[in-house]
Amino acid sequence: MFLQLTLSGVSQGAIYALIALSLTVVYRSTTIVSFGHGDFVMAGAFLTYVLVVAIGVAFLPASLVAIAVMFLIGVAFSRGLVRPIRGGPHIGLALMSISFGFMLRGIARTVWGREVLPMPRVFDIEPIFIGSVVITGDALFIISIVAVLLVVFFTVLHFTDVGKMVQAVYQSERGARLIGINVERFHNFSWGVGAALGAVAGVLIAPISLLHPDLGASFLIKGFAAMTLGGFGSLAGAVLGGLLLGVAEQYAGAYIDTTLIDITAYLLIIAVLLIRPRGLFGRKVVVKV
Amino acid sequence: MQTATGTLSKRRRIFWLVPLIALALPLLTNPYTQFIANAMLIYTLVTLGFSVVIGNLGQLAFANTAFFGIGAYASAIASTSLGLPWLATIPIAGLAGALGGFLASAAALRGIRLYYLAIVTLAFGELMRWFYTHAGALTGGTDGLPVPRGRDFGLALSSGTVQFYVFLAITCLLVAGTVNLLRSRIGRAIIAVRENEIATASLGIPTSQIIVTAFMWSGFIVGIAGAMFALHTGRVFPESFGLTQLIVNFAMVLVGGLGSVVGAVLGAVALTALPEYVRAFPGMEEIFFGVIVMVVLLVMPKGLASLLARFSPIFQQRYHRD
Repeated sequence: MFLQLTLSGVSQGAIYALIALSLTVVYRSTTIVSFGHGDFVMAGAFLTYVLVVAIGVAFLPASLVAIAVMFLIGVAFSRGLVRPIRGGPHIGLALMSISFGFMLRGIARTVWGREVLPMPRVFDIEPIFIGSVVITGDALFIISIVAVLLVVFFTVLHFTDVGKMVQAVYQSERGARLIGINVERFHNFSWGVGAALGAVAGVLIAPISLLHPDLGASFLIKGFAAMTLGGFGSLAGAVLGGLLLGVAEQYAGAYIDTTLIDITAYLLIIAVLLIRPRGLFGRKVVVKV
Repeated sequence: MQTATGTLSKRRRIFWLVPLIALALPLLTNPYTQFIANAMLIYTLVTLGFSVVIGNLGQLAFANTAFFGIGAYASAIASTSLGLPWLATIPIAGLAGALGGFLASAAALRGIRLYYLAIVTLAFGELMRWFYTHAGALTGGTDGLPVPRGRDFGLALSSGTVQFYVFLAITCLLVAGTVNLLRSRIGRAIIAVRENEIATASLGIPTSQIIVTAFMWSGFIVGIAGAMFALHTGRVFPESFGLTQLIVNFAMVLVGGLGSVVGAVLGAVALTALPEYVRAFPGMEEIFFGVIVMVVLLVMPKGLASLLARFSPIFQQRYHRD
């Protein structure tokens, strides 16, 4: 029971980790918290759905197209809508991301209507039995994709020249500018990567859950909870926070009450910010005055 | 200089004409426009409450729909369970909203600001919505809670026209109250926190408490707006207090002008009337409000209030830096 719960928690948490990581990438590189990111996740799932169900593309190419399109949408959003108001107050930037996400949701709804539609199953991986623990094909698929993605992500970040450049901009934007890094282009790229990572999460949930235009909001909060728990702005913290949140939801649902699954994330956010605002790995966030 | 500001504030007395003109409004209109006019008054308060926190205080907050819902449910519960007349539920809704404001912003006392505060308030709002859905015995769950309109102090509150006058009186009182609050020491401290929190704190002003106070005032007036909403719609549902409501409120605040009292009224009036025409198609409302906010941010970041200020200095935002 305990192992089984942990396993489903990790598979669910892997998706949260991805969303939290995508939020962190944007936050670390642009200091903007993307409040519309849940809708990027939804849009990724939605595009995959439309390509697979309405047009009849196979799942794998459909998901790659969806991720690429979301990357471009992220870049376009950064160039067209964020750049003009970058000098302004943070409230404006947050509102810009919210309203862009809201627009995406509206577009999905005009196409989708009010119905909730399941996507046809795409992978038929046999479940694996280890003693009394069952690993479903979906869980296996999600965990392995996310694991590969994370390994690639952190390898690029820590062991390549591009990664070192990225770290340089993270450390000091001004310093990066001085050594000739095009920070504007870097911001656009980060929004693209953030949107694409969010879209990967969307693609992964598309075949296993019911899709509807509003699903972004709940995933956004899960992402925030994961980020808060892991430590705001910490990439590794986002991943760990996501996994812990997924597991915590399963435990809370099984050992206390199933309705608690929905609010574990909210309770976690409130508890972490009241008890240890910097989370597990974050720097001190409290404004000392 | 003294005389100049003196005449300016004298000329601002012209604003009292607005409610006077509004008094005549129900005589001219049909029940449908009446309904919209009532909604405008409700949203004026919601927008104003929101504007105090995000405009004057300069903090990002998502708990506005939570305060709206808390007020609506407090009013509905007080009238169904306690049998109180609707008017008597108004102070209860206001106090419940203020308590909500305290809870949503309590993290500010721990030094939590901006994005973190935004995330806490977002979680608080969603938590409240979960509560409405799951505390079925108290809130009626997804079926919602009816608001009895029979019990009142001799006022036929089921009539849209009577509602309008009651709403108008409440709205005027709370708008005047907010204007006065913003002029007071607390109000100036609220704006000082937005401009420079560290400098404000160095003057010995307890900035965290100021933030909580602003949230509580916001919760108070939005809570009362919630009670009005409960009466206006006749039934309170959890779904009325979700994220769609939130973006509509954001749009109203922005279109009117962040932190401007005149702007709050303008934004609420403009955007309550318009979307009636876009509601017919699923998704159009989201696109409409999303695009409106984006366009306003790009083209007119100070909102309609700043356009009016070009015509006459009486519309200038006294509480906003240019």
